[in-house]
Amino acid sequence: MHLVHFAAARALASSAVFLFITVLLMATAKRISTCIVLFSAQCAIITAEILAMAYVHKSPEAYAVAALVLIVKVLAIPYALFRIVKNLQAPGDITASTTAAQSVFIAAGLILLSFFAVEPYSETLRVDTDMLAAAIALVLSGAFLMVSRKKALAQVIGLLVLENGIFLAALTTTFGMPLVVEIGIFFDLLMGVFLMGLFVFRIRDTFEHLDVSKLRRLRG
Amino acid sequence: MTLLFPLLVPLLGAAMMLVCRRPAAAVRVALAFGALEVLAIGNAVWRIRAAGVLPAGRYLRADGLTSFFLINTGLIFALVLVYSVGYLRHIAEGRFSSPRWFYGLMFLFLFTIMAVYLSSNLGLLWIFVEATTLASALLVGFYNTEGAVEAGWKYLIVCTVGIAFALFGTIVLYLAAVRGGVDPRSALDWAVLMSAAPNLRGAQDLLKLAFVFVAIGYGTKIGFVPMHSWLPDAHAEAPSPISAMLSAVLLNCALYALLRFDAITSRAIGSGFSHTLLLLFGGLSVVVAGFLMIVQRDLKRLLAYSSIEHMGIAALGIGLGGAFGLYGALLHAFNHSIAKSLLFFTAGHVRENFGTLRMERIRGMGRALPWSSGALVIGSLAIVGLPPFGLFVSEFLILTEAFSQARYAVAVLLLAALSLVFGALLYHFQRMLAGDPESAPAGPRLPAADFAVMGVCAACLFVLGLHIPGAFSSALRAAVAVLQ
Amino acid sequence: MIWLNVAQALLLVAIAPLVRGVIARLKARIQNRRGASVWRPYADLAKLFRKEDLTPPSASIVFRFAPMIVFAATVTAAAFVPVVHGSALLGATGDFILLVYLLALSRFFLSLGAMDGGSSFGGMGASREALVSALAEVPLLLGLVAVAILARTATLAGIVQWTVRQDFTQISAVHALAFAALALVAIAETGRIPVDNPTTHLELTMIHEAMVLEYSGPSLALIEWASAVKLSVLLALLIAVFAPWGMAGGVSVPALALATLAFLLKVFVLALAIAVVESSIAKLRMYLVPDFLGVASALAILAVVFTALMR
Repeated sequence: MHLVHFAAARALASSAVFLFITVLLMATAKRISTCIVLFSAQCAIITAEILAMAYVHKSPEAYAVAALVLIVKVLAIPYALFRIVKNLQAPGDITASTTAAQSVFIAAGLILLSFFAVEPYSETLRVDTDMLAAAIALVLSGAFLMVSRKKALAQVIGLLVLENGIFLAALTTTFGMPLVVEIGIFFDLLMGVFLMGLFVFRIRDTFEHLDVSKLRRLRG
Repeated sequence: MTLLFPLLVPLLGAAMMLVCRRPAAAVRVALAFGALEVLAIGNAVWRIRAAGVLPAGRYLRADGLTSFFLINTGLIFALVLVYSVGYLRHIAEGRFSSPRWFYGLMFLFLFTIMAVYLSSNLGLLWIFVEATTLASALLVGFYNTEGAVEAGWKYLIVCTVGIAFALFGTIVLYLAAVRGGVDPRSALDWAVLMSAAPNLRGAQDLLKLAFVFVAIGYGTKIGFVPMHSWLPDAHAEAPSPISAMLSAVLLNCALYALLRFDAITSRAIGSGFSHTLLLLFGGLSVVVAGFLMIVQRDLKRLLAYSSIEHMGIAALGIGLGGAFGLYGALLHAFNHSIAKSLLFFTAGHVRENFGTLRMERIRGMGRALPWSSGALVIGSLAIVGLPPFGLFVSEFLILTEAFSQARYAVAVLLLAALSLVFGALLYHFQRMLAGDPESAPAGPRLPAADFAVMGVCAACLFVLGLHIPGAFSSALRAAVAVLQ
Repeated sequence: MIWLNVAQALLLVAIAPLVRGVIARLKARIQNRRGASVWRPYADLAKLFRKEDLTPPSASIVFRFAPMIVFAATVTAAAFVPVVHGSALLGATGDFILLVYLLALSRFFLSLGAMDGGSSFGGMGASREALVSALAEVPLLLGLVAVAILARTATLAGIVQWTVRQDFTQISAVHALAFAALALVAIAETGRIPVDNPTTHLELTMIHEAMVLEYSGPSLALIEWASAVKLSVLLALLIAVFAPWGMAGGVSVPALALATLAFLLKVFVLALAIAVVESSIAKLRMYLVPDFLGVASALAILAVVFTALMR
């Protein structure tokens, strides 16, 4: 039991650092498959965090949520994304509008921004500011990924990272909402990814490319 | 049980679409289920009126506000369904463009909208608002052309991001409620939150933060500027009946969600902050949409910007509050949905007969399509807010409220925007209606069904403009009472 | 104690060619070849020392003395790094900054010598080296500064002694970022893939090799040895700053033996990591190298800022 307790405490203390590392790595990623693997890793870290919290607060609902995150976000969604990448048979590189170094700088800046954003609420919320800052950093870097990446699938991954951040923010502040709501949110996410995958194929079939920055027919 | 019918009927209808093989059968089944749904809604509204508040289990609940919006949805859905029968005859048959898919997706869409209105729990509300985005994305991209795919993609991405922010706001509200002493298992329940709202006075920061995120999130779905970028594309590229559903029903649905949150926030910390934010969004939407309407070249995009405009006016009404503000805003949402549906139906006819929606290529509509032109004239007179149509009454109410609160800036802004819109629409439509038709469109006569549908719209606008019927007025007042 | 620290510095200098040999052998194994013996670099050095030292007619005194200065500067840098116990032969306040600039000094004279040699490849190599070293300086310095701020000390020995007292199961964000930055810089400074290919024969892809094209005999031996010592100094620096556990507390023989064994094991692990990285990714094209070092800079800057944020 001591080992489990120790592991839980360590997981709670270090997950923020690991999440920051994934944010920075995702900023430098040059291939979509790398991004998908990093997203899966992020969700795995969050699962570990949820398990640690479930152990510390002794709530069975949290175990269910951890199982949900594991099945849906660590396994199902990345698997679906890999299938889409394979079926698209398109070059797997991310065309980004910023170079790797610039992206890392911006990601680092966003991490710092998230720390500053969390400062004024650290009193009201009385939570682990590191984790909340990590959550905000995920949201901001997800938004940055969506804006700076030109491939459609990269935007989808950015969206998933953003939702990850919001989910983590919910986790750190409230220790989970009623289970029905959590299940509904996951179902929505799954359907959303499915639909976005469908649209990516449609974009490829209609436009012959996957560069969403070239989707500018409708303007004004 | 009463509340389950409006939810189950669309689901069954969507399932039945999988069974029907032939398009003709699909259409008939769709009409049958549509009629069933209208009956179910009518039954629900009747029961709610009798009971005041109708809870059903832990997750469903209906009150005066719900019944008002149910009436709205039922009416528009019936009209759209009848119109779509004729419209679908002109869609090219493709693997995914058959009436089966159309009605299946539309019933699924209706299910999610009904679920938004009938859910008692803010978390479920969020889930189903997101579900409406997912359900309608394929409908927006129905034609599978370049424009449709682009519009569908943008719609999906922008709305999902926006709704994610609304989730964050919901969570912050949940947090504030739990810290304010509400039982965590029911801290997302709207009725519970409303009764516990005075206890949340201490968590001002959290409530304000929650409302900001919710306003941004659901505001994206309503189409507030600057989160509106998806709206013109989606409403323009979708098939006309779906455009009507989006403009008339979906925008109101998102407005409903925002109203629920505003009620809680106002009861807890007063309406100063939330209403100021709504006035900001409303004013911005009204001005920007008004200006952008002048430079539009596509008819349906013009109508989409008009939707943004009118949602901005509704936001101004809510933001003003007071005796007439909320009443006027709800009435405005209702009137707008009818007028916008009428205009989109007309746009559908224009597209069928002229082959294009570019307004510079449409000339002599007055001669070529007399009845549709009449509908266009009625619709445009209604949408700019001229008497004797319904929108005049609602806008007048909102203006009265602005003047009575001595908020002259808001009143002047509203009047200026309305004049701008009037000028823009007059300019565009006059060019379309006058002149000689270049190519005499071999247009079919107006089908009886469409004639009836547009006639019903015009009649409703007329009636609501002259004198609001008693029953409707009491429903409206019940809705306002729920929120105060 | 003095003899211990002298022995430490000599150890670094002596095993430097062995480290190179081990990396080459590991690479060969990973690539399914048999590879040369790990003692091969020693044989190469011995061969070079016996050969004649040729100087281009247009070269000046700089060309002749550059190799000696390069070697001297690198060996002096080696004297600053604690290897088997928590102090080194030379140490002063701010010695890690001095170490960075000793390495810079050796690089500077190497570039001067290359340009003085008069061949166009020398000039090309020198200019590329100048680019890489200018960009690598910031992350190297800032990474060390970040750890120094955390340890509240300005000497390498102080950093080592502070780190030994820390709990290694708690991942520190500052250490993670600083390690990443320093690892990237180490790759760039020692001219390994993906910045430079140490085994290339194509002059167009050379950075370090282009600078030493004109050297021969003992001068070349000194330069090769100096670059090997630079690699082992940087590896020892990484180990001392980030993973110094296992270093001897006292001066007893068993503790020192254990510490030497631990050090050699850690060097082997790092060498394995270098071999794996070199075998898996391709060399970056020259215009992407600033980007690579930009990432290292961003990580180092973030490490420094984090010292204030995460306590």
